[in-house]
Amino acid sequence: MSTITVERTSRWFGNVVAVNDVSMTIAPGVTGLLGPNGAGKSTLIHMMAGFLSPSAGSVTLDGERVWHNEDVYRRIGLVPERESMYDFLTGGQFVLANAQLHGLPDAGAAAGRALATVEMDFAADRRIETYSKGMRQRVKMAAALVHDPAVLLLDEPFNGMDPRQRLQLMALIRRMGDEGRTVLFSSHILEEVEQVASHIEVVVAGRHAASGDFRAIRRLMIDRPHVFLLRSSDDRRLAAALIADPSTASVELDARERALRVHAVDFPRFVVRLPLLAAEHGLRLYEVHPSDESLESVFSYLVAS
Amino acid sequence: MAPRDTGVIHDIGYRNYDGARLGRSYLVRSLFVQSLRGAYGLGRPARSKVMPALLLAAITFPALIIVVVTMVTGSQELPLAYTDYVPYTFYIVAVFLAAQAPQLISHDLRFRTVPLYFSRPINAADYVIAKYGALAAALFALMAMPLLVMYVGAMLTELPFWAQTRGVAKGLTGAVLFAVLLAGLGAVIASATPRRGFGVAAIIAVIMVSYTVVSAVQGISVETDHVKVATLADLFSPFNLANAVQLWIFDIEVNPLFDEVPTADGGQGLLFVAMYLACVAGSVAFLLMRYRKASAR
Amino acid sequence: MNTTIASITWRAMVGRRRAGLLIALPLVLLVLAVTLRLTGVADTESAGVVLGAFALGTLVPLLGLIIGTGVIAPEIDDGSVVYLLAKPISRHTIVLTKLAVAVACVVVFAVVPTLVAGLVMTGDERGLALAYAVGTLVGGVAYCALFLLLGVLTKHAVVVGLLYALLWETLIGGYVPGARTLSIQQWAVSVTGAVAQDGAVATDVSLAVALPLLAVVIVGGTLLAGHRLRSLTLAGDD
Repeated sequence: MSTITVERTSRWFGNVVAVNDVSMTIAPGVTGLLGPNGAGKSTLIHMMAGFLSPSAGSVTLDGERVWHNEDVYRRIGLVPERESMYDFLTGGQFVLANAQLHGLPDAGAAAGRALATVEMDFAADRRIETYSKGMRQRVKMAAALVHDPAVLLLDEPFNGMDPRQRLQLMALIRRMGDEGRTVLFSSHILEEVEQVASHIEVVVAGRHAASGDFRAIRRLMIDRPHVFLLRSSDDRRLAAALIADPSTASVELDARERALRVHAVDFPRFVVRLPLLAAEHGLRLYEVHPSDESLESVFSYLVAS
Repeated sequence: MAPRDTGVIHDIGYRNYDGARLGRSYLVRSLFVQSLRGAYGLGRPARSKVMPALLLAAITFPALIIVVVTMVTGSQELPLAYTDYVPYTFYIVAVFLAAQAPQLISHDLRFRTVPLYFSRPINAADYVIAKYGALAAALFALMAMPLLVMYVGAMLTELPFWAQTRGVAKGLTGAVLFAVLLAGLGAVIASATPRRGFGVAAIIAVIMVSYTVVSAVQGISVETDHVKVATLADLFSPFNLANAVQLWIFDIEVNPLFDEVPTADGGQGLLFVAMYLACVAGSVAFLLMRYRKASAR
Repeated sequence: MNTTIASITWRAMVGRRRAGLLIALPLVLLVLAVTLRLTGVADTESAGVVLGAFALGTLVPLLGLIIGTGVIAPEIDDGSVVYLLAKPISRHTIVLTKLAVAVACVVVFAVVPTLVAGLVMTGDERGLALAYAVGTLVGGVAYCALFLLLGVLTKHAVVVGLLYALLWETLIGGYVPGARTLSIQQWAVSVTGAVAQDGAVATDVSLAVALPLLAVVIVGGTLLAGHRLRSLTLAGDD
């Protein structure tokens, strides 16, 4: 059982704090690291992989420090975000080289297995520079899997993938998790994360914002107050009707924007009641516009709570 | 239903710009100025100012010494002729070229921003003119600085005005000759590789190898009385070539790069000029070809 | 010494454009040597000039720069070094392997051509050809160790190395005699002078000073490079 423990870890680059006092535990299974761009996900993953030292705190794998520890790589497989590999090698040679560098007793067989797992055996004899983006990603996965690591770290693996490749990669990651490995991948798209990961860690602006089962987080995010901007044929009458309904906490007529701003506290009820109320009062809805739906505001809500 | 305005659409998205647009010449000028400034680290982070500043200081330092010596000894002319200054300090110019030409040129190739340039009303020729011009201007500035320092110093020590002014004019003209030829060479080599480190090494390799081989050949041919060979050897190294053209144009006898090598006479001089022009034209042609290909990518 | 790393590094080094430059430089030397020989001008004087100024003075630092930085800097630059580092291999092994490949390249592209050029020109009169070959080897290894270290330390390894080789060793060394004591170039010349027959090669730095300094640069540089490689930071784009 391999567990990564991040304890009160911070990392700063000069004046910029990329990771701010984060503590989390990555257990076996698939964990998604979710956060907007610039949140510090990549920094965290590099610290877990031993390529960045924490400015404060510690990052350990089963109690063993990861930084300055070459042996730990027997148990870790890293799929970095950057695309550069040894382009002049073929896919097969590249994975084989990785197997040899791990000192595997039967490197050729291990490489073959890894390539089969990512379904790249058909293209193994072509040079990496001729590969498409999705193929490169899969070869990177093969190289990370060749030594059968207990821990797999993937930095933004779904970047730039088309839907079919995404599905393939998701299936692969789920399989790795089912085999009992500790898999951590980062993304800024909630839908990607929730389809694969059973456990989510949310990072916003370097801070650990939320952690737990994705359904619970989704509910938290949905159950927060929503702010809508409405324009209708009679804003005042709509406002009066809405405030009478328990799903609305406050209404505000914004004279400058000539719109109605509504705070809804019961989102599921609100979205059902709004059109019904409008129809009841003979009002036309011209515009219904959630004004705080960005991932940032969702995350900042999570941080605030 | 109360009569109201039909819905207002807040246009906070893309706004079309219908105003005046400055023309292509503005684009080329801007690219030129930006590249020139970039060669000296202006408009870039502090770290990229270190090298140009260091080299500028290194090349100007001897000029200051010369001025001080002249003041102290009270002589009526500078110990070093203006046209001799660059040949003596050419290492510094070579390092500047090797360090900055890839900065100007390989960056765009490496990060594939060249097509972005060509999606604007600027074509390959404009791009080449701007970049080549900027590199040449940067080199010229590097070589002109110490010459101007010497000139100002000479004026302050009240050396004869016309002699000094003629001298500095010759020196600056020579600097232009060096700048144009070297910039062409540097640009050609830098555009051949997107890797900056390799471009640096390649440029300095070409310059130093050609110089050393030519010097070696000159040394040996002078020893063995093949003096004509020694003179013609200057064709094969960019510094020597530009220097030879400079010497021939101003009819200067002594070659500062190698005292015992006679400077070119009439007929040979034309050969040198022809070679010089051919190299510059060849550089421009190569660059045009290169960027026409890049714009198609 | 890890054969997989060696083979990857070797293949990267002799890939296309770099190989072109690596071959072109010694080729110039050989052409020059042959031309001098054919025109009957070759003698110990001119051989000394060619081998000393060109082979040892220009070719070796240049090739040392291209090879020494080339075995590691491009990989660090584009991030593909992560595939070497994310392995249970000691960083010193990585550095040593790369240095070994660099030395092999130096032998192929600098030492052998120097030996051949020397033999072509003088036929080992006064032991010059062999002496310069040895000097080239020693200088080449030292330059590679130094520039490999630079490649690990900074993104601008080639430019810094250039400043050292050209400005410090050549320009300043030409005017300030003290600077010559700290010049790999001069140490190589000392070794050359020691191997050649007495008085054949003029040296500025005594062997007693040059040899220990060479050892310091080669051994110290390699150890430091390995140590720094452990702390190599590969930050993400986030």
